[in-house]
Amino acid sequence: MQLLNSHVLSTLIFLPLIGAVLTYFSTNLKTAKMVSMITTGISFLLAAHVWFWFDGSTSALQFVEAYEWIPSLGIKYIVGVDGISLLLLVLTTFLMPLMLLSQWHVDDSRQKNFLALLLLLESGMIGALVAMDLVFFYVFWEAMLIPMYFIIGVWGGKRRIYAATKFVLYTVIGSLLMLAAAIVLYYIHFTQTGIYSTSLLDLYAIKAPVNAQLWLFMVFAVAFAIKVPMWPFHTWLPDAHVEAPTVGSVILAGVLLKMGTYGLLRFAIPLFPDAIQTCAPLFVFCGVVGIIYGALTAWVQTDAKKMVAYSSVSHLGFVVVGCFAVMSSGELNQEALYGAVYQMINHGISTGALFFLVGVIYERRHTRLLADFGGLAKNMPWFATILIVATLSSVGLPGTGGFVGEFLILLGTFQAMPVAAVFASLGVLLGAVYMLTLCRKILFGPLDNPENKVLEDLSPREFGYLVPLAVLAIVMGVFPNLFMSKLKPSVQFLAKNYREYRLEYRLGSESAFESSSKLDSNKLNVSVK
Amino acid sequence: MTALIALLMSVSKVWKGTAILKGFNLISLIVAFGFALNNFVTGGLGVQIYLSGGYLSSRLGDLGQVLILLISIVVTQMISISYLSSKFNRGEIVALFHMVIAGMLALVGTDDLVTFFVGLEMASIGMYALVGYTKPTKISQEAAVKYFVLGSIAAAILLFGFGFIFAVTGSLRISEIGAAIAKVALNPWARLGVIFTLAGIGFKLALVPFHMWTADAYEGAPTGLTVFMATAMKVMIVIGAIRLFDSNLSEVKSVWLPALGFMAAASLIFANIMALAQQSLKRLFAYSSIAHSGYMALSLAAMGGVSSAHQVPSLIFYLIAYVVISLGVFAIIMWLENERCENLMVDDMAGLAKRYPLTATSMAVFMFALGGMPPTMGFISKFYVFNAALSNNMMALVVVAAIGSTISLYYYMRLIVKMFMLEPNPALENLIKPVKSKWTVAIVGFCVVVVLAGGTFAPETFMRLAKSTTVQSE
Repeated sequence: MQLLNSHVLSTLIFLPLIGAVLTYFSTNLKTAKMVSMITTGISFLLAAHVWFWFDGSTSALQFVEAYEWIPSLGIKYIVGVDGISLLLLVLTTFLMPLMLLSQWHVDDSRQKNFLALLLLLESGMIGALVAMDLVFFYVFWEAMLIPMYFIIGVWGGKRRIYAATKFVLYTVIGSLLMLAAAIVLYYIHFTQTGIYSTSLLDLYAIKAPVNAQLWLFMVFAVAFAIKVPMWPFHTWLPDAHVEAPTVGSVILAGVLLKMGTYGLLRFAIPLFPDAIQTCAPLFVFCGVVGIIYGALTAWVQTDAKKMVAYSSVSHLGFVVVGCFAVMSSGELNQEALYGAVYQMINHGISTGALFFLVGVIYERRHTRLLADFGGLAKNMPWFATILIVATLSSVGLPGTGGFVGEFLILLGTFQAMPVAAVFASLGVLLGAVYMLTLCRKILFGPLDNPENKVLEDLSPREFGYLVPLAVLAIVMGVFPNLFMSKLKPSVQFLAKNYREYRLEYRLGSESAFESSSKLDSNKLNVSVK
Repeated sequence: MTALIALLMSVSKVWKGTAILKGFNLISLIVAFGFALNNFVTGGLGVQIYLSGGYLSSRLGDLGQVLILLISIVVTQMISISYLSSKFNRGEIVALFHMVIAGMLALVGTDDLVTFFVGLEMASIGMYALVGYTKPTKISQEAAVKYFVLGSIAAAILLFGFGFIFAVTGSLRISEIGAAIAKVALNPWARLGVIFTLAGIGFKLALVPFHMWTADAYEGAPTGLTVFMATAMKVMIVIGAIRLFDSNLSEVKSVWLPALGFMAAASLIFANIMALAQQSLKRLFAYSSIAHSGYMALSLAAMGGVSSAHQVPSLIFYLIAYVVISLGVFAIIMWLENERCENLMVDDMAGLAKRYPLTATSMAVFMFALGGMPPTMGFISKFYVFNAALSNNMMALVVVAAIGSTISLYYYMRLIVKMFMLEPNPALENLIKPVKSKWTVAIVGFCVVVVLAGGTFAPETFMRLAKSTTVQSE
């Protein structure tokens, strides 16, 4: 157990990588499927292990591993989880086996490449979530693009090449400027301390000059905002979502978009605290515009997938608002932050389910136009049930995860910036309008299209990957404390101390429960060697 | 030193029989490589000067010789297994080839401006002849003439520059010029000399606005020589430029720094935009190589600023990464080429992943590496160059480089789109029929491993290597 705890995060990063290589070189598809399923299954179990051993009473980084990576530039291999990354880590590993299950029936000759790319993507996502070194994070952050590029570009729809290229170029231009900004920060750290380091633990400890903070923050925040995607940087998202295969959309909505908001919370806010006060209103404004704009645009879509895609713009607008709800006291609003993180997870579950469901009917009918459907509730009752659950969770009905997230965000924002909260709550209303429109057009009304009459309800395999999502959406609504308890200290610490942010951590070799001694971050350098 | 002699000896022998010649060519290169490697490994960190400055043994020069000879061996082998073999393995061609190599070795290992120039000309004149003569076609001869005319002008300009520098400093020793020129930094002739030298180097490094010859020469030359131009020539010029500009000319940096910065920025923007429109693979890589020269110039420009430990190593690291990636790319291109299909188009790559999945995957790795995406060596090298430039507050240039890099990703991805996302062209399936080749597998495999290792677990190793070259300038 000791050994496992001290290396579990590295194992989580590299296991899918090994799985990807094995899958790519496996001789037949059946082995490839088994290998990938086993890999993601073990990853999920490992993540669950981290979940259970995670000490929810402290904001310290846990399961930390630290090694030198490029000592001549002070770049380290540091991985660790706190409450925020823990939740996203579990979400990622939870979605992966479900995605593989949804692909189980495909017998294409290229399918094993697809599975290998999914595993590569998993490795990249986990790496980005647990990396606690700026450059080390950046490697995963950009490397993630490559498998996603192939997934959209090779397996996507008609305009897949356009969509894939747009997706990559949009992200890369922001990221490259962020890289330059990161290096500037690195030199600021060097001038202040005389040490070359890109470790977050070191970078949090310095205070950059306020002017520098302002523009560094803008560069970082824009890079992450593109990924979120925050209005007005969202234009790549509908293209990418519509063209991507079902699994690509699920992973995009489920995890990749969260990387943007995660980046805002992990990097942009605590690294440049003095800039937040100035810039927060701008970001809240963009977030609110995104909420309303995304909702209105979703409303008028005729394509079910596009509708869900625009609903993502709207929902992630909420998350952005929640991240930047700064109170007059200068603290970040805790409720809003809880809500933001919770909404990230909930959006991953409910929108993931929605994309799966759109994929289910697309596979049967090869169309996604709402006008082609209607009355499906009559011959697909189980499909209808799950679609309703996912929809209600998406619109934030009490008793589902969406309610908890959106309510907390609005509550917190109202305390901090009442006007913004008023406009943001319009989004909840509009959300109900367009999502229920989606339900109505697909499920209800007369079943008059002869092609729709013969559609079969969910197969056991489809049940297999949809039911866990539906159950989780409800569990998240009924027992929020199950998740909040892990989150609490991290969010409280971030909200109060983002100006004096100094993550504590525990080295992975000591199990989280046994260790009570907290090490000073300067000692890390010693203990690494 | 010994490396030089071994090569020069081989030049004087012209043997007729192809098989013997092939073997002899390779063996002499390997022997020379052995000597150079031995020099590099055992040479220590000090600087020894022989022949009153004619030959300088230093880590930087030794590394340059190792790289040049390694490239020569790989390229020779690549040509020998290709359809160009019978054209290339002729006595006079091999002799010319060795003359080029000898010139390069002389240039990277000298402290003397005249030897520097003679080495450059030996290498260049040999290349002009090789481009036109190895496989005389209209297009290759046109390329040779263009390359020759523009190259000669560049050589003349460079010589002018050296002349002015000699006139004002009274010294031909590179290591002594620095101190001497500082005393006459305001002398207009000294400034003119530095600018002329920079222009000459810019020509040879193919920086905008001195890049005109590159695309034609790359396209016209037989591919085996294109890769040699893209790699070995670049190693030679970059190492020569480090010699000239690092620390030695930093006293007069106000003269050359703005010009070099401009050339770097212009190359990064212009070449990347030009590359977007290219249809011929070789032209595409010609413009890509100009853009990469832009990065190297950026790193070179960083040397003019406040000294820090990162500038020279960043350039060497970039150079190594670029050489390895280019060798891999061209090994694949040469493997696909044949007598009837010499100048591959971007469209010819369509559907390559269906026919040769591993080849296409390797090519994709190289493309992402050239585009600077992690987890490849290309990313680390780009990061390192940005790092060096930002340590001197060259923010504007780094922003330009970041934008250029995004543009470049578009055309690298265009190749990936062709290979992975489009159907193969049936007409080409009969035309492009590469035979299995162990050597190609070995070369490409080696390059892939280095490119991936250099981006993941081994960047430190390469950085140490790159860093060890800087000790000499102290």
